[in-house]
Amino acid sequence: MIRLLGVTKSYTVGDQVVPVLKGIDLEVHKGEFVAVMGPSGSGKSTLMHIVGLLDRPTAGEYELNGASVLQLPPNHLARLRNQNIGFVFQNFHLIPRMSALRNVELPMVYAGVPRAKRRARAMELLEMVGMVNRAHHLPNELSGGQRQRVAIARALANDPAILLADEPTGALDQQTGGEILRILRDLNAAGRTVMVITHDRNVAQAGQRIVHIVDGEMVREEVLHEPR
Amino acid sequence: MNLDETLRMAFASLASNKTRAFLTMLGIWIGVASILAIVAIGNGGKALVIGAISSGSQRNVIQIVPRELVAPGLPQPGQVLSIDDSDLAIAASFSGVESVNETFYGTAIVQSGDKSDNVTLFAGPADLDSLARFVVVRGRMFTPEDVLSHRNVAVISQSLANKLFGSGNPLGAVITLSGVPLEVIGVAQPEQASLYSLVMGSDNLYIPDTTCEDIFPNWTASEMDVVAKPGINVQSLANRIVLALNIHAGDPSAFADSSGLLASVAALIGKVTTILTAVIGAVAGIALLVGGVGVMNIMLVSVTERTQEIGIRVSLGAKKRDIVFQFLVESMAITSLGGVAGIATGLAVGVLVRVFTGIPASVPWPVGVLAFVFSASIGIVCGLYPALKAANLNPIDALRYE
Ligand SMILES: Nc1ncnc2c1ncn2[C@@H]1O[C@H](COP(=O)(O)OP(=O)(O)O)[C@@H](O)[C@H]1O
Ligand SMILES: [Mg+2]
Repeated sequence: MIRLLGVTKSYTVGDQVVPVLKGIDLEVHKGEFVAVMGPSGSGKSTLMHIVGLLDRPTAGEYELNGASVLQLPPNHLARLRNQNIGFVFQNFHLIPRMSALRNVELPMVYAGVPRAKRRARAMELLEMVGMVNRAHHLPNELSGGQRQRVAIARALANDPAILLADEPTGALDQQTGGEILRILRDLNAAGRTVMVITHDRNVAQAGQRIVHIVDGEMVREEVLHEPR
Repeated sequence: MNLDETLRMAFASLASNKTRAFLTMLGIWIGVASILAIVAIGNGGKALVIGAISSGSQRNVIQIVPRELVAPGLPQPGQVLSIDDSDLAIAASFSGVESVNETFYGTAIVQSGDKSDNVTLFAGPADLDSLARFVVVRGRMFTPEDVLSHRNVAVISQSLANKLFGSGNPLGAVITLSGVPLEVIGVAQPEQASLYSLVMGSDNLYIPDTTCEDIFPNWTASEMDVVAKPGINVQSLANRIVLALNIHAGDPSAFADSSGLLASVAALIGKVTTILTAVIGAVAGIALLVGGVGVMNIMLVSVTERTQEIGIRVSLGAKKRDIVFQFLVESMAITSLGGVAGIATGLAVGVLVRVFTGIPASVPWPVGVLAFVFSASIGIVCGLYPALKAANLNPIDALRYE
C-alpha cells in the first residue's frame, strides 16, 4: 500500500543544508497497524507529512497503491489526500469557529458530497466516536479527548484507506490516551491501514510492528504481532 | 467545492467577527454612497437648468432681436438697432408662421406719489402675457380693445407693486410714466421660475403697444415674436427667418434668435455641471480607493490569523483553487454588502435633497448597477493578493504555525 524507497529530506537553513531524513525505506501493507517511534526531532512528523502527501521528499521514490505519486500535479495530490488519507494530529487541529459537526463535514465539502448525505455521514461518524451529543459544540467547548474523537471522525469522513496519526495521545492524559488508542485499534481491526507516530513506547505497542527512527534513519524494526 | 458552500463559509467567517466586517464594509459603504449622492445632486442640478431652459424655449414662440440688444455696447455704424415693418413682413412670409408680433422693451422710470422705481418696460399686443411669459394674478390683463383704443392702462409685476404700494391695493391706482398717468389694472407674476425670468429681472411694467407709441413716439420695436404653427420645427424655422432677416439687412449678424442664445447658455451651464460632478465624484472615488485598501489590509490580517486553518483545510484535501475562492468570496461579500448599503444610502440622500431643496436629484439606474459591479470588483481586486498568498502557503508551515 505504502512504499518509500530511499526517501531523503533536507532543509536549507541559511547557507547550511540540514538533513532531516537520510534515506528511509519503508513498506506498509494494507490493513497493517505500524508505529513509527523515535525521540523528538528525529524526523517522524516530516516522514508522516511525506506519506500524507503534504510534503515532497528531497529525493527518493514513493509509491501509493502501486503508483508513483511524486510526479503528480498539486490538484491530483489534493484529491488523493482527500479520498485516501485521514490525518489525526497531536493538537487536534479542529477549525476553531466551526462546530464539531461542520469540522467532520469539511473533507466531504471538498469532495463535493451533497449536503444531506454529508450531514448524515458526519452524524454517523460522531456517533461512532461517541460524540453525537456534542455535534453542535465548538472545539473550545470540548475536552482534549473529545476533540481528538471529533478529529478522528473527521479523518474518517471520506472513508480513507489510510489513517495517519501524529502523536495522537501526546496532549492527553493516560486514560484518555488509552481510549483514543482503542478507537484506532478498532478501526484497524475493521480493515483500515493505520500509521501512528509516537515517542512513547506504550503507545507504539498498540501496533503490530514498530519502526524505530533515530536522527532521520531507520535503525531497527520490531514485529510485535503478526498482522491478521 | 460549490459556490453555495463557499458563500455559506464566507458569511459564517464574517459573522464570527462582525465588528471588523462592519468597519471594513463601512469604507466601501461611504465611498459608494458619496459617489452616488454626488451623481444624484449633480444630475438634479443639470435637470434643473435644462428644465429652466425648456420652459423658456419649448414653446412655439421665436424671439428675434437685433444683435446689438443681445450684447449691449456702442452700435457699429449701419448696425441694425430696431425692427421695422419690412422685417415683420419677411418673417410673416414664411409658411410655418402663425403670426408675428412686435414687442418693445427698455428701461424706464415710473412714479407713484413720492415713490419712483427703475423698471423694465414691455409693450405689446393683448397677448403680451403669453409672449413675455407672465400671468396676471390679480385684476386683469389688458384687452384687444384696450390696445385698439390706446388706453392708458398698465399691468405691473408683483415686486414692482410691492415697491410702489407696499401692502396696499395697487389695483385702480395711478402711476406715471414719462409724465403720462396710467391706471394699474393688473398685477403679474412670471409664468414660472425660469432662466428667462431671471434674465429679464423682476420690476416689470407691461402696457399696450399703442399706448407706448403715444408716450414714446420715436421708439421702435426691439423684439419680434414669431409664433410658429403647430408641428413646425421651431429651431429650423428660427434659423431660416434669422438668415432671411440678415440677408435683408445686409449684415450676417444683424439679428439673433434670443431663445437660442438662452439655450446655448444653458448648454454651457449643463456642461460645467457635468464637469463639476465628475471632478467631485473623482474625489469621492479616492474614498472608495481607501476603502479598497482597507479591505485588502483586513484580508491580509485574516489570512495571517487563519494560517493554521488554511494548513488544516489543505490536509483535508482543499485544492489551491478552493482556498483562493474562499478568501475571494469573503472579500467580495464585504465589498458587495458595502456597495449595496452605499447605493441605498446614496439614493436616500438623493430623496432627501429632492424633498428638502426641490433639486430633482436622481441616480440613473445604470449608475446604480455600475456602482454594484464596481464594488464587487473591488472585492476581487483587493482580495486577490491576500487569497493567492493564502493558497500559496506551505501547508507544513501553516500547520506548525501557532
Ligand atoms: N521548515 C524547517 N526548516 C528547517 N528545519 C526543519 C523544518 N521543519 C523541521 N525541521 C527540523 O527537522 C527535524 C525533524 O523534525 P520533525 O519531523 O518535526 O521531528 P519529530 O516529529 O520527530 O519530532 C527537526 O530537527 C526540525 O528542527
Ligand atoms: Mg513531531
